[in-house]
Amino acid sequence: MTKKRYSAVGFVAAVAIAVSGLFVPSANANNEIVVWADGDRGPNLVKVLAEKGDWVSGYKVTVKSFSNFDALKDAFDKATDASGPDIVMGANDWVPTGAKSGKLAPITLTASQKARFTSGQLFDLTYKGKLYGVPVDVNNVAMIYNTKLVTTAPKTFGEMVNYYKANKTSKGLKAGLCVAGGGMSWGAHSIFSALGADAYQFDARGKIVYDRSFNGTTFGKNVRTFLLDGKKSNGFLPASDAGCKDNFLDGTVPFAIIGNWEWKDYVAKGFTMNLMPVPGVNANKPGKMFGSVSGALLTTFAAKHGVEAGAKSLLTNFFGSTDGQVRYQKIEGRPPAEKGAALDATVSAAQRGFGSAASLSSIPQIGAFLNNNAGGANYWDSAPAYWTAVLVDGKDAVVEGNKLAAIWRANTTAGKSDL
Amino acid sequence: MTSFFTGKVSFVLKLVVVLLLSSVLVTLTQSAFAQKEYFIAGFLAITILLLVLTYLTKISIPLKFFLPGILLLIAFVLSPILFTVTMSSYNYKTGNIISKSEAIEQIKNRGFESDADGTSFDIKIGRYDNQEAILVSDSINGAYFISTENNRIPLIAQDLTVNEYGVAESAPDFQTLSDAEMANADEIYSLKRFKYQDEYFIALEGFEVGIVSRQVLAFDEVNDQFKNIISGEIYTDNGRGNFAIEGSPDQYLEPGWRAPIWFENYTKLFTEERLRAPLVSVFIWTITFASLSVLTTFALGLLLALALNKPIRGRRVYRSILILPYAMPSIMSILIWGGMFNTEFGAINNLLGTDIAWFQSPTFAKFAIILVNLWLGFPYFYLISSGALQAIPSELLEAASIDGANPRQIFRQITLPLLLQILSPLLIASFAFNFNNFNLIYLLTGGGPRAELDGELAGATDILISFTYKIAFGSSVQDLGLASAISLVIFVLVASISMYGLRKSKVLESFQ
Repeated sequence: MTKKRYSAVGFVAAVAIAVSGLFVPSANANNEIVVWADGDRGPNLVKVLAEKGDWVSGYKVTVKSFSNFDALKDAFDKATDASGPDIVMGANDWVPTGAKSGKLAPITLTASQKARFTSGQLFDLTYKGKLYGVPVDVNNVAMIYNTKLVTTAPKTFGEMVNYYKANKTSKGLKAGLCVAGGGMSWGAHSIFSALGADAYQFDARGKIVYDRSFNGTTFGKNVRTFLLDGKKSNGFLPASDAGCKDNFLDGTVPFAIIGNWEWKDYVAKGFTMNLMPVPGVNANKPGKMFGSVSGALLTTFAAKHGVEAGAKSLLTNFFGSTDGQVRYQKIEGRPPAEKGAALDATVSAAQRGFGSAASLSSIPQIGAFLNNNAGGANYWDSAPAYWTAVLVDGKDAVVEGNKLAAIWRANTTAGKSDL
Repeated sequence: MTSFFTGKVSFVLKLVVVLLLSSVLVTLTQSAFAQKEYFIAGFLAITILLLVLTYLTKISIPLKFFLPGILLLIAFVLSPILFTVTMSSYNYKTGNIISKSEAIEQIKNRGFESDADGTSFDIKIGRYDNQEAILVSDSINGAYFISTENNRIPLIAQDLTVNEYGVAESAPDFQTLSDAEMANADEIYSLKRFKYQDEYFIALEGFEVGIVSRQVLAFDEVNDQFKNIISGEIYTDNGRGNFAIEGSPDQYLEPGWRAPIWFENYTKLFTEERLRAPLVSVFIWTITFASLSVLTTFALGLLLALALNKPIRGRRVYRSILILPYAMPSIMSILIWGGMFNTEFGAINNLLGTDIAWFQSPTFAKFAIILVNLWLGFPYFYLISSGALQAIPSELLEAASIDGANPRQIFRQITLPLLLQILSPLLIASFAFNFNNFNLIYLLTGGGPRAELDGELAGATDILISFTYKIAFGSSVQDLGLASAISLVIFVLVASISMYGLRKSKVLESFQ
C-alpha cells in the first residue's frame, strides 16, 4: 500500500467517525421521562402536556407515538434498556406478560390513591398481588336498542327473543341481538352471563367468587331454550360479529352490544344513549357486561434510566389524578377510569354514560386471569368457539357448555395464584 | 473512458462512497454498542474494516466483487440460522427473556411487601447531616420525623413549617432539595431504604409519597439462592431459568431468565402428547397441501400453455388475461377470496345457492385453500411452461409424428419428460415455497377451523409454519425456544426433500 493510500484509509476512518458522531442516537436524556403510546393516545397526550407541563417539576416528559396499538405492543416487546420507555400506555392483558418478562415494574398506591378507582379496575392491572400501573381509560361494552323498533327496554332475555320471533318476517330482521363491539368473547360476555355463565363474580368486598361463576349445564340449557329451535339456531344471535354494526345501524337488528370506542358512529346515525346490560333469564338479574381498563404502566426501564421516582410521580400526579384524566379525556374522548373524572361535569354524556354503565354492572378482563393457557387453551380465546359449535355446527349446547366450563376451571385454578 | 474508471476521479469517487458507507456503519455500530448488542456491534466494526481495506487498497481484487455478497450472506442468512439454532436449545419464552443478572436484580426490587395496614406518608426529599434523608409527615397521628438510611429522628411540630394539609414543608437542619436537584438525584433516592421501625423501612413511591415496606426476599450470592426472610423458604437455581423451591417446581420466582436446556425443545416434540398429536396431523397436511399445490398449479399452467402454444385467434389477449392473477398482489387476492367464501354474504355461496360454512368445516376449508392457491399459482407455471415448450426442438416432435406417434404419445413420451427435466428445479422450489406458505394459510383461514373447546392446539388447515407461529406468537405465552426448534425441523425437512428431488431429477449433474 502506498503512503497515499494509507492516508486515504486514515482520512476515511477519521471523517466517518466524525460524521457519524452527529447522528448517534442518544439514550433517554437525564430528567426526561419517556412515555410510549399508540397513534390515538400519543398525540392527545402531547396536547395535554403542552397545555400544562409541570405535573412533575424538574422533568421533561416526552411522548413517543406508534402508528397503532399492535405496533406499540411490538415495539414494547422488543424494547431494550437503552431504547425502552419509562411509562407505556398499554392494555390490562399486557400486565402478566410484562411482569413475567421483567419489563414492567410494580408501583404501590396509597389508600387514598387506590380509592380513586374501583377494585375491578385495580385487579385489571394487578399480577401476583402487585399493581403495575394506574387505570386511565375504561374500555367497556353495553347493550343498546333501536327505539324505532323497540319502544321500551326489555326486562328479560325471553322478551327480546319473543320480539324477534314475532317481528322477524314483518320487519325483515336479520337477527335479534348481535355483538358489534368486543367480539364474540369479551363483547358476548354479557350474553354468557345473562344465560348463566359468568367468567367471574365479585362479592361485596370486591373479591372474586370462584365457586358459583360458570355452570356449563345451566348455561347450555338456557342456550337451548332461547337460541335454538331443536338443534338449529333460531337466528336470534349470529355466531359471529360480522356485519352486526351495519345491520343494527340499518335497522335490521333491534338489539346490539356496542363498544364505547365506536359510540360516535351511532350518534352520527341519530341513536341516543339507552345503554343497558343484556337482560337475564329472570327480570332484575341482568348479565354482567365486560368492562376493562387500559393503563399507564410503569416499566423497569425507568429505574435503569434513573427516573423511577419521577415516573411514579407522573403516574399518580397526572395519569391517576382527577385533573389529569379530565384534561386528557376531554381530548381523547374515552370514559375516564378515575372516579372523580368520570363524574366531572365537563366530560361528555357518552363518556359519563359508558363510565357509569361500567361501574354499575361490569367485570374486568383481568389479564392475569383466564388469559393463561393452563389446560391447553385459554378461556377468552376459546369462548367464541362455543357459539360456532352450537349455532353453526349444531353441536349439543350442554356438552359444549361443559367443555367451555372445563377450560374455565383449568384456567381459574392456574390463574388464582397470579392474582 | 477507461481512465475515468481507473484514474484519480475513480479513486475520489470510491473514497466518497466508502466514506458515506463507513459513516452510516459507524453510526450503527455505536447504536448497537449503546444497546449492548455487542455481537452486532462487532460484526459492523469488522465490516467497516473490511470495506476500507478491500476498496481502498489492492489486497485482493476478487474480494472487491465477493465482499458485499459475503457480508449480506453472513448478516441475513447465516446469523439468523445461527441465532435460531442457539435459541432452540434455550428455555426462551415469556417469563424467561432477560439475562440472569437482570432477573436477580428485578427479583430483589420486587421482593418487598407493604405493611399490613398499607401505611403511607407524605414526604419531602432532602439532606440531613450530610446524608440523603426524607422529612416524613404522619398526618393521621400528627407525628413528624426525619428518616435517613440508618436513623429516624423524631421532630416537634412547633419547630416545623407545616402546610394547610398538615404536611411538613421544612424542618431545622433539613435541606429540602429543589425540583432540579430532586430530578438529578432520582436514581439515588429511588434505591434508598429509609429507616422506619424494626425490619420496616420507607421507600419512595414518587417524590411526594413514602410507603412502609419490608424486604421479603434476600439474595445469597455465595450459594446463588434467594431466601424468603419471613417463611424461610429457599429458592435455588433450577437449571431451567428460574429460582424455585426444591421439590416444588411450580413454586418459582419471577422473572426468570433464558437458560440453556439443550435438546429439551426437540424431545418435547415427540414426548409431549399435547405437541406430538397435532404435529403429526399438521405434518401430513403440510406435505399434502404442498404436493397438491404444486401438482394442481403445474397441471393447469401446463394445460393452458399447451392450449395457447398453438396459433389461435386472440392468443395475446388470452395470455394477458391469464397472467393477471400473478400481477395482482397475492395478499389482496387472498383477502378477496376470503370474502367470497363467506358463509352469509359471500359470492360463492350466492352463486351456488348454498349456505356452506367454508371455513367451519375442515374438508371445505382445505378445498378452499387448494382452490385459492391454484388461482394464485397457475399463472407462474403457465409462464414457465410456455417458455419451456419453446425450448423443445420441433424436430423431435416432427420425427415422432413421422414415426407414427399420436399427439397423446408425443406428449407422454417426449414433451412431458423433456419439460420435467427443464422444470424440475422450479417444481422443487415451488414445493419448498408452498411448504412454508404462511401468508395463504394465515390470511385465508388462520389455520382453522380448530376445535378450541376440545383443547386442540392446531387447526385443520394449519401447516408447520403457521403452527410454529401460533406457538411462538399465538397466545399470551410466547415460546420462542420451542418455535425455533420446530423451525429447524422444518428447515431440515425442506432441505432433505429438496435435495432428494434434485438428485432424483439429476439437475445438479448438468451444472458439473
